[in-house]
Amino acid sequence: MGTMPHALIHMAAPPGSETGAVLIELGIVLLVLALLGRFAAKIGIPSVPLYLLAGLVMGEGGFIPVSAGEDFLAVGAQIGVVLLLLLLGLEYSPADLQVGLKTSWKAGVVDAIANAIPGFAMGLILGWSITASLLLAGVTYISSSGIIARLLEDFDRLANRETPVILSLLVMEDIAMALYLPIMAVLLVGASILQGAITAAIAIGVVALAFIISFRFSRHVSRLVHSHSRELLLLGVLGLAFLVAGLAEAVQVSAAVGAFLLGLTLSGQVADEVHGLLPPLRDVFGGIFFVFFGISIDPRDLLPVAIPALILAVITAGTKIATGVWAARRVGIGPKGQWRTGLTLVPRGEFSIVIAGLGIAAGLQPKLGPLAAGYVLILAVVGSLLMRYADRIPSPLARTKVLTPSS
Amino acid sequence: MEIFETPLPGVGTRYEFTAEAGDHVGVVVRRDGRRDIALYDREDPDACRGTIELTEGDASKVAELLGGTNITTRLDELTHTVEGLAIEWATMPESGGLTGRTLGEGRIRTQTGASVVAVIRKEAGIPGPMPDFVFKAGDTVLVMGAADAVHRATRVLTG
Repeated sequence: MGTMPHALIHMAAPPGSETGAVLIELGIVLLVLALLGRFAAKIGIPSVPLYLLAGLVMGEGGFIPVSAGEDFLAVGAQIGVVLLLLLLGLEYSPADLQVGLKTSWKAGVVDAIANAIPGFAMGLILGWSITASLLLAGVTYISSSGIIARLLEDFDRLANRETPVILSLLVMEDIAMALYLPIMAVLLVGASILQGAITAAIAIGVVALAFIISFRFSRHVSRLVHSHSRELLLLGVLGLAFLVAGLAEAVQVSAAVGAFLLGLTLSGQVADEVHGLLPPLRDVFGGIFFVFFGISIDPRDLLPVAIPALILAVITAGTKIATGVWAARRVGIGPKGQWRTGLTLVPRGEFSIVIAGLGIAAGLQPKLGPLAAGYVLILAVVGSLLMRYADRIPSPLARTKVLTPSS
Repeated sequence: MEIFETPLPGVGTRYEFTAEAGDHVGVVVRRDGRRDIALYDREDPDACRGTIELTEGDASKVAELLGGTNITTRLDELTHTVEGLAIEWATMPESGGLTGRTLGEGRIRTQTGASVVAVIRKEAGIPGPMPDFVFKAGDTVLVMGAADAVHRATRVLTG
């Protein structure tokens, strides 16, 4: 009995100051995010690139050192990835996936080929390994569904006739991620080709299983965590998400993939309710993830990769625009709508960073992080500006002359 | 008027139609219940000239103003919240069942546990009919309760 209070004091006293330091750093980081978020909303660009920039100026090589809170930020970033991918998986119901596959698999294939090849080629040109180049291919391939969905709403384009084309392409990218992420996770472990093929087959099997569960039994999975109490629902979903993500990480499939597949299998009422609950939590931890990604990059490393990042940004902006125009034309959208579709698909964001993060976690290619950061910084900002002014940017497609706005 | 339906993955469903006056109108029903009404541009038929965003509450008010009823969607929500709740519309037959008799005579509440919550006669709705309410042929009777109770109550009503 007598030793207990002593032990307590012993435990509390020295780390007490440390806890204080962690909280102070965390507070500063979150406040910086809040200020940047406001600024981004004011000038009308997405917050992701600013969060990345904030991370770049913090930590090693930056102006603001972050030391005490780094452990927490690392865990927070991991939680951010889990939530980002859980909600990406939740975004689309099995019915949405079916519709997407049925109506736009061709456009999806064109999208993947046209936008992944430039990244892959750039990786090879820079002399990277096949695995690192494949990661860069993923970075350039995937559009930011977060930025695009948000801006479509902000610019009142949800009802536009080209919007289903855009959303179906995002769904196809979602499905492609379900295959791509597990395969990359396997390759990153550094398996030989044969081992890789076997484990990739297993990974695809797991994905197929998740899809089957999603289509057939999602009601049972959903019932497992369903509750009318928001608190219990949140605890259930988060608990399941972290557990699945952790187990996936333990068998080296990466936490991100686990969370994503769980998101796919949850559906129905649970999905709808979680949709209302999780986004604020995702935004907080997602913000921490982007900052942490920025912190892990020394800003001095950005300069050497600036030129490749810029070249890649220009090329893959072009290939995305071409993909969008082609996909919209196929379903009979007019020239202006085609142009809008193309410009809308340009922004890259959170998932490019998640993919690059996989490579950084595996210690794969030191230049992948800075290159991806530079690339996303450019295309998140430029892409959302292109989206915003889509109707004012003269389209090479329109036969009639575009009138300059008189206002 | 023909209404075209297009799924919007991750968002909801879009309905569009051309009004008799020639305006092209779209309605987006989002998964969270919000609605957007959009008016398409005549020059660029793929874009909207403007959209109106309505919350679920706004939308049902507007629906009432436009002369619609939203009883069915409200009931849908109710069955969502109370699990196992069944709602049925029974149409009174020409003869037999409780046609021409009172609600009290049917002893529906005591015998089945289901409740008769409203009756629609011609265009008028009669909420909460009293035990001395006399059913007429063609009345639409709204019965609520547990699924099997509603089923039995409907049998009592329609014979």
